[in-house]
Amino acid sequence: MTWDYVFIQVANGAVIGIIYALIAVGVTLIFSILKIVNFAHGDLYMLGGYCAYYVITLLGVPPLGAMFVSMAVIFALAIILERLLLTPLYDDATERKDEYGLIVTFGLAFFLRNVAVMVFGPFPLKPPSFIPGVQRLGGLVITNDRLFAGGVGIVLIGALLWFMHRTIWGQALDAVSQSRESAAIVGINARRFNSVAFGIGAALAAAAGALIAPIFSLAPDMGVLPNIHAFVIVILGGMGSVGGSILAGLLLGEAENLFTAFFPDPTRALAYTNAFGLLVLMVVLVFRPQGLFGRRHLRME
Amino acid sequence: MTIGMRGLHVYILLAAAALALVFADRLSSYWMHVAIIAMFYGILASSWSLLAGYVGLFSLGHMAFASIGGYTSGLLVQWYGIPIPLGMLAGIAVCCALGGVIGWVCLRMSGPYLAIFTLGFAEIVRIIFATEDDITSGMAGLHVERLFDTPSRLPYFYAAFALLAVSLLLMGLIVRSRWGLFLRAIREDEQAASASGVAVARFRILIFAIASGFAGLAGGFYGHYIGILTPSLGGLDFMAVLVVMTVLGGMERLPTAVGGAFAVEFLLEILRGYGQWRLPLFGLLLLLTMRFARNGLLAPLWLQFVRLGESPAVTATAAQDVPQKEPGL
Repeated sequence: MTWDYVFIQVANGAVIGIIYALIAVGVTLIFSILKIVNFAHGDLYMLGGYCAYYVITLLGVPPLGAMFVSMAVIFALAIILERLLLTPLYDDATERKDEYGLIVTFGLAFFLRNVAVMVFGPFPLKPPSFIPGVQRLGGLVITNDRLFAGGVGIVLIGALLWFMHRTIWGQALDAVSQSRESAAIVGINARRFNSVAFGIGAALAAAAGALIAPIFSLAPDMGVLPNIHAFVIVILGGMGSVGGSILAGLLLGEAENLFTAFFPDPTRALAYTNAFGLLVLMVVLVFRPQGLFGRRHLRME
Repeated sequence: MTIGMRGLHVYILLAAAALALVFADRLSSYWMHVAIIAMFYGILASSWSLLAGYVGLFSLGHMAFASIGGYTSGLLVQWYGIPIPLGMLAGIAVCCALGGVIGWVCLRMSGPYLAIFTLGFAEIVRIIFATEDDITSGMAGLHVERLFDTPSRLPYFYAAFALLAVSLLLMGLIVRSRWGLFLRAIREDEQAASASGVAVARFRILIFAIASGFAGLAGGFYGHYIGILTPSLGGLDFMAVLVVMTVLGGMERLPTAVGGAFAVEFLLEILRGYGQWRLPLFGLLLLLTMRFARNGLLAPLWLQFVRLGESPAVTATAAQDVPQKEPGL
């Protein structure tokens, strides 16, 4: 094994980590406002990828534009789904909201995944590259698509942080996440921000799907593992903490790629990379349920 | 009816069971297979409802335990040539032990955290079974010795029937006993239950071990019936089907969970003409059930059925007494 190989893995890890973070901040955002863990997040990511694919191939929109179209479409779809399915969560008469949110999002994931199999077909699809070609830096080779995905991912996360901290809507979201009642007293319509949070989270997942599509390919079950990865990251970073998610996303991306690079048996390395991430998740859940960088452990009621 | 034949529903069920056993050999081989698979799911759905419905432990690792039970039994029989029932018992024992460990490890977790943890566990189990192909034959599937040395499905039908009946009897005893009360107390409010003297930790571990044991039993039977095991048995798709079955029927009662398993399995076969559209259809049905009839579609029917033998006057007052979200059996 040469050092070049390790450097390539580190660079790939950073890109994948940014994409993971993009999915995970959505999970965290939805959790902090709606107090549910979204089991359908990976499937919104999958839909985002397919949506971008069809906008590119059918309408001839350039890939970056298609990504924004896909974000808008999934944003709208997510708000419709939230209105249709998640409103009982805001009703005091609903018992055991944890259980409701869990089964509904789990069922939604099952539904979306199987609709995707029927509509898009079970075979992998690959959209055109954002920018074809590769960059070489000494022995380090990285495709332009990966660089592009990483770059756009950073910009989107930056935009989210700006939105959360520097705009009045972001401040309102933060207020709702801290206390629904207090937010209502100062005139914030919490219901509207439930939709906004779910929509933004879904749109970020859609962007991740559109960015990853030229690197890996699109398949109806592509959302399953990233969904679990998002949970790993969110648990690592602490539920409800956006900054923690970004750090944990990078950490997991790097850890996994280095694990693949250094695993002694190369035929099994890839399979056990996923198991490794899951093991990290389980260990963290057992020993530090509040996450590694987490702020106060939020209990869902 | 004026005498009030309480428990009439039990006799009706027993009569139906007797009829099913007597006329089983009239079933075509195909529908007998469907019935056997339905009973396999019946064991899984009822034991999962014990976990998720009664105690509120929403484990996504239930099919992983079925898979572990199947592989344990299959491999032990293959390696050491032990009798199949002994292998299945070993599978149950392994699942009970492992289930207890999982139950102990996630004692402090609630709701979605437990779901994520068990999902992680299930995926790791699946990945190990798929990757260690020199032991498990990986995705190609492990060939497992069949339980009976005959091409007929009738013995399997009787075996599945007996296993389901015994499982339901045991689980019913648990649910009807004081333990059942403790379990539901834990679901409603763990702290209040603990304050009232329920040994919450012990019961959570115990119920995890018991439910996992039943999953191991179902998995062991499945392996020795089908004759081949693949890692996908413990995967998310099977788990999702199990959730659909249990929630559609009604996850808060054992009979409705089993009814859900039967109904969904038979509907899946009847709707075969729709091909793969059946799965999103059932996904949609699950969402609608959760949204509008959270107790399950069979729960109201079951309540009516249970009251069959009661005199109309009793039924009328009882109906008023029953609150909307009555959790009992």
